[in-house]
Amino acid sequence: MAAVTEVPPPLAPTAPEKAPRKRGRWTPYWLLLPGILWLVVFFALPLVYQASTSVQTGSLEDGYKVTWHFATYWDALSEYWPQFVRSVLYAAAATVLCLLLGYPLAYLIAFRAGRWRNLIMILVIAPFFTSFLIRTLAWKTILADGGPVVGTLNALHVLDITNWLGWTSGDRVLATPLAVVCGLTYNFLPFMILPLYTSLERIDGRLHEAAGDLYAKPFTTFRKVTFPLSTPGVVSGTLLTFIPAAGDYVNADLLGSTDTRMVGNVIQTQFLRVLDYPTAAALSFILMAAILIMVTFYIRRSGTEDLV
Amino acid sequence: MTTDNSGDVRLSGISKTYGSFTAVHPLDLTVPQGSFFALLGASGCGKTTTLRMIAGLEEPTAGTVHLGDQDVTHLPPYKRPVNTVFQSYALFPHLDIFENVAFGLRRRGVKSVKKQVDEMLDLVQLGEQARKKPHQLSGGQQQRVAVARALINHPKVLLLDEPLGALDLKLRRQMQLELKRIQTEVGITFVHVTHDQEEAMTMADTVAVMNGGRVEQLGSPTDLYENPRTTFVANFLGSSNFIEAEVDSRSGEEIMLKAGGGKLSLPKARCSAPTTAGGKMLVGVRPEKISLTHADDAGEIPEGRNRITGKIANASFIGVSTQYVIDSAVCPEFAVYVQNVERDSRLVPGADVVLHWSPAHTFGLDAAQDIDAGIETVEEEAA
Repeated sequence: MAAVTEVPPPLAPTAPEKAPRKRGRWTPYWLLLPGILWLVVFFALPLVYQASTSVQTGSLEDGYKVTWHFATYWDALSEYWPQFVRSVLYAAAATVLCLLLGYPLAYLIAFRAGRWRNLIMILVIAPFFTSFLIRTLAWKTILADGGPVVGTLNALHVLDITNWLGWTSGDRVLATPLAVVCGLTYNFLPFMILPLYTSLERIDGRLHEAAGDLYAKPFTTFRKVTFPLSTPGVVSGTLLTFIPAAGDYVNADLLGSTDTRMVGNVIQTQFLRVLDYPTAAALSFILMAAILIMVTFYIRRSGTEDLV
Repeated sequence: MTTDNSGDVRLSGISKTYGSFTAVHPLDLTVPQGSFFALLGASGCGKTTTLRMIAGLEEPTAGTVHLGDQDVTHLPPYKRPVNTVFQSYALFPHLDIFENVAFGLRRRGVKSVKKQVDEMLDLVQLGEQARKKPHQLSGGQQQRVAVARALINHPKVLLLDEPLGALDLKLRRQMQLELKRIQTEVGITFVHVTHDQEEAMTMADTVAVMNGGRVEQLGSPTDLYENPRTTFVANFLGSSNFIEAEVDSRSGEEIMLKAGGGKLSLPKARCSAPTTAGGKMLVGVRPEKISLTHADDAGEIPEGRNRITGKIANASFIGVSTQYVIDSAVCPEFAVYVQNVERDSRLVPGADVVLHWSPAHTFGLDAAQDIDAGIETVEEEAA
């Protein structure tokens, strides 16, 4: 509607309004400051320190000096590449298992759980109330030689198959790749379920109805509507599982053997037992770079820039 | 095509209850092939539930749904030859406009969809937007995509669930005409759910007014407006004045009533209440049917018209008409709309006036109902 008469614009107040605005402009930076300080002290500085360590040479007795000795990287890689490959394989296997176990559960919580939703959510998060170590040690008991799990798997001849695949050996599950992957899967499952759930829960239920209305059978609706819309959750869930799993050493340490050592175990040993700091630092950087490259490639492929 | 009845929708004794709450009371309804049918009512009146039972998104507690001769009561939505335009559209956000429209065709295994989709997008004037994502379109454009996505499947029946609710007023009026044009063009049965009485009246051939899970009245928009059977319909569609009256006498096709000190005449055909002498009745008349004459000119009013005297309490000029509120003995707030053809300068607040109208515009309703039924619900909806 057009105004019949011009309403004079209110007089622009000058002085009283400028002062608070100037202070307001700096507020965001003040709010950022604690976080930035934290990141500088606990992330950026250690990173620089590690980078410099990785190109030092020397010995524990004579002290280490920066000599720009990049050969350490090559030496570390050529000596420990099997552990790198193993880390990637175990982490990938655990991620796939997490996705296969976590997706149906997240789907159930998001769409079918009704009043049980909160209870199931609590059950998903509950393991966090106990220490990571205790939980992994518990798996040691569960998978113990001659225990019920191994007995059942043996009776069902599952172990014959896993032995043939090289995942287990003899009558043992403990101290085999299968045990390590199971441990990784168990420990990182909540990191898969939570983003999947968030992503699924945000899907408008009417889209399912619309797909059904447009002749999509329930499974087609899942394939064409639900799953594509949950990809942000799938991508962030797989990243949250894969990245820490690739660097993990606790599971391989407690549930594995010398044949299942991952790169995390090597780094830990180099730092804390061998005290070869340059090699440990170089390994850390190689792991970081490898993960960054893989993640970048993965995100490009899945075409999801807006992660949850 | 003319004798085809495959697009009939027949609901027989259909009802829906959720626990102890009855959303839809047993309902019989037939929507003939090719008609534009509106279910009108305030929110929570059961109109959307009824629509969803036709779509197959809601299982009826009792009764059957037929499309033509086919019983579809227990068919899942993806097996029913109906399509829905959802409230707020429910477009697939991860698919572009082309793929949204092609969705139904692809699910039915149609191989070459390009030509059909292009044609359909042209019909709704969105040919240029085919490769955009839904969130890049305006509300009106999204609405047209939703219509195209449903219509491309050539459903027997198109169901529209408040399809224009999210649009602003101007766009809504435009889309009403557009939908009406499309319906005439494709000749498909449309069942339209709305709470906007103006929308229902401009678009539909037949309107069913629903209230509390029941159909209050069904008929053409003119019929519903001119001859409401309940106070709810009288108030929900437009506005009405009510006078509490008492039946005085009946002579042939005419009923004489006493109200206040005066007498009113009502054609028997326009009365839906019992007419025993001495019985109470609500007499209704639409504000725009009433003429207003200054008390000094009362002698000029033709014989045979219903009259009431009163005093102007308020007058508001709104351009095409002036809306008066008259304080009278039979009704303290009598609304009268007078077209601004020849304005009588004496008709100002405080003036004594005579209200008069043709008995043919009077309607009689059962006194045993709430005079204000349908008023509050309209205001709630607008809020």
